[in-house]
Amino acid sequence: MRTDTLPHLFLEKVHRFGDRVALREKDLGLWQEISWNNYARHVRHFALGLTQLGVHHGDHVSIFGNNKPEWLYADLAIQSIGGIAVGIYPTNPSAEAKYVIEHSDSRIVVCDDQEQVDKVLEIKHELPLLEKIIVMDMKGLRNYNEPCIMSFEAVEELGETVDQAEPHKYDELLDSIRPEDVAIMVYTSGTTGPPKGAMISHDNVIQLIKGQTQVLPQSEEDEVVSYLPLCHVAERMMSVFMPLGSGSTVNFAESVDTVVLAMREIMPTFYLAVPRIWEKMMASIQIKMKDATPIKKKIYHLALPWGQAMAETRLAGRPIPLGLRLKYGLANLLVLRALRKELGLSRVRIALSGAAPISPEVIKFFHGLGIEVLEGWGMTEETGIATFNHPGEVKLGSVGRPIPGVELKIAEDGEILLKCPHIFVGYWKNPEATAETIQNGWLHTGDVGEIDAEGRLSITDRKKEIIITSGGKNISPSELENRLKCSPYINEAVVIGDQRKFLSALIQIEYDNVAKWAQEKRLAFTTFRSLVQMDEVKKLISDEVENANGDFSQVERIKKFTLLEKELDHDDGEVTATLKLRRREVNKKFADLIESMYQEAS
Amino acid sequence: MALLEIQDISISFGGVHALRNVSFTVEKGQLAAVIGPNGAGKTSLLNCISGFYKPTQGKVLFQGEDITPLPPFKVAQKGVARTFQNVELFSNMNVIDNLLLGRHNYFKGGYVRNALLGYRSKDESRERRRVEEIIDFLEMEQWRKHLVSDLPYGIQKRVELGRALAQEPSLLLLDEPMAGMNLEETEDIARFILDVHQELGTTIVMIEHDMAVVMDISQHIGVLDFGEKIADGPPEKIQNDPEVQKAYLGENYEAIRRGEAR
Repeated sequence: MRTDTLPHLFLEKVHRFGDRVALREKDLGLWQEISWNNYARHVRHFALGLTQLGVHHGDHVSIFGNNKPEWLYADLAIQSIGGIAVGIYPTNPSAEAKYVIEHSDSRIVVCDDQEQVDKVLEIKHELPLLEKIIVMDMKGLRNYNEPCIMSFEAVEELGETVDQAEPHKYDELLDSIRPEDVAIMVYTSGTTGPPKGAMISHDNVIQLIKGQTQVLPQSEEDEVVSYLPLCHVAERMMSVFMPLGSGSTVNFAESVDTVVLAMREIMPTFYLAVPRIWEKMMASIQIKMKDATPIKKKIYHLALPWGQAMAETRLAGRPIPLGLRLKYGLANLLVLRALRKELGLSRVRIALSGAAPISPEVIKFFHGLGIEVLEGWGMTEETGIATFNHPGEVKLGSVGRPIPGVELKIAEDGEILLKCPHIFVGYWKNPEATAETIQNGWLHTGDVGEIDAEGRLSITDRKKEIIITSGGKNISPSELENRLKCSPYINEAVVIGDQRKFLSALIQIEYDNVAKWAQEKRLAFTTFRSLVQMDEVKKLISDEVENANGDFSQVERIKKFTLLEKELDHDDGEVTATLKLRRREVNKKFADLIESMYQEAS
Repeated sequence: MALLEIQDISISFGGVHALRNVSFTVEKGQLAAVIGPNGAGKTSLLNCISGFYKPTQGKVLFQGEDITPLPPFKVAQKGVARTFQNVELFSNMNVIDNLLLGRHNYFKGGYVRNALLGYRSKDESRERRRVEEIIDFLEMEQWRKHLVSDLPYGIQKRVELGRALAQEPSLLLLDEPMAGMNLEETEDIARFILDVHQELGTTIVMIEHDMAVVMDISQHIGVLDFGEKIADGPPEKIQNDPEVQKAYLGENYEAIRRGEAR
């Protein structure tokens, strides 16, 4: 049996696991199970339905929506007929969705619900190639008089009829897929310039699965909660690649707002989050403890340092004294166990952090709770993961050792170069960028970093983002920013100082937590803006900044900061869909604010 | 036959004529609205339909049947559900329980049987499923087990709409569903009202101050002023009716038409 493409690997799992549960979806308050057989039937029918809508080998189909089983059906169905699945961030405003649909030459868009359909209809007249909008949830759409709209079920029914008439058609379609065919296209969110469509082949994914299963073993007993955007390669890896490799079960919450609840109910064993989410979890615990009863508070403040001490001893690789062992056992019993349960992480076997650099403070916090967060590093252009901190040998500030098959090299200018069997095919319709990125078989990552004696990689910063102050000092803004973001009151920080005398920062407060703080202090405010304008809030953040400054040398300290009076938003182009800063945009938009910080000084 | 026919009703409190010879007809499947300045008698009209007030004169026909003399719970059993201007929910109960209460007419067993069987009763699991469908429909999954008193006002209003839907009404009366809401909450509720109308096919009569929304979503509008009906018709006609402009929309009319004033 072939296992050299994703649909073939999928069918192999279907044969092996049959009626075992493959997916779970919470619907009407109950977890509904979908077996591998059922999963396969949906994929098969949707694939055959697509052929009737004129999708051929090599065609692109976009998927625009939140995580749900139909997303995966569509993904694998498109690939089954040799098509290329292109994901679009559900939070993308219509202009950005248009860019992807247009650039990828998609003739069909599979939408999640009315919200996405409305966005597509808004731009449909500018997309001459677009023929059909297939909708997973038809609620609110029945009265739309648009002949291009078709329900997901209708496509599956269409496919079922084809299947009855030509039972071998699906297998024939599968036979024609080659491992070197492009399977999916991932638009990199692009902190500079428009997004680029990274083409990833079947073989790329198969090679990645081969490499990572050696160091991140998974089995059909593993549980995953699918909640990050599926169009991003990290969640695709968690919800599609890894389960196809191992047979693990993927769970879908009812909506984005109920993920926390779903985590508690499912208690995943394998979990990946971006730093932003780890930071949020940390802040939520800190804030909750401020609200707790005095006794709880006391126990928490007693137990947490024991956990932290344990984490530090372990991280340093020192032997653990008996006293600490006992204290940790008690802390675990009294507090840590309950906190892990609250976060839905009490069963977690592997907890990964990736997609952006995370502050060591945050990692240490979770290690103190007994959750060994492993920071990893990877790129879309190499199909997802390249290095990670192996369990039991975490080194703070490092992204760990490469997974099998990955070879690393540091170029003369400090840029990290990478060679592996899963380097992507190239950028769609952009041979120049492809040639720039892949040179002599080496992937130029654009990250600057170092490799230590044990082969562990640490990332200094993005090549283009290093700040050089007028004093000539090279400074990595993200390190400072991540330290600032450790504060429960700071949501986003932008460090500025390129060719300036000193460093300054634009800071966006964490609205919920600061609002709560203000309420407790009985400070009256009405909006985000009025909250930010209060002197007390400025003082609060100033203390947080001072606190962070303590960890850095004189030249690396933030001398001045300004609080942003609005939240940075994807809609306004200030951050990407993955909430990564678009530094250039922010610098341009808030140029006056920035200038005023430096003018006052002189 | 119209679903709801209000025939020439009047009601007064002391010397105040809250309603005077008002007639209004709502066809099956319509999304109708009643507008008017403060104190025009809008809520009184709704109260006459739902049986809270007994008009001193005139009749209310629902599905051809005179429901004027019926007490409110009988009117509810006939298939008329309503929400209130100030949220009327059991604030110390959670969302699910509030919605389940909306289903009480569908529980077959009596008080004793339900008390004894509790969660094991078949009624309970069947009705719980219906409640879940409403939670799904109104996208309230994240608040299922929250006490109503802990929820923001806009969400409480949504729960109240859910409680009314739980009755599976053929006529839904909404008393200012957007009052006190911010722009986003207003948009949400307007979308849900449209969804109820289109997906469930429920006939709706809504009283609302938010003119932009009323003009945008309703098919038929009645206008009250000092207890009297001064106009009746589709939004385009109401918008251009000089009587209405004078009585209700006033000087802001042009702004309202451009959708600026709220």
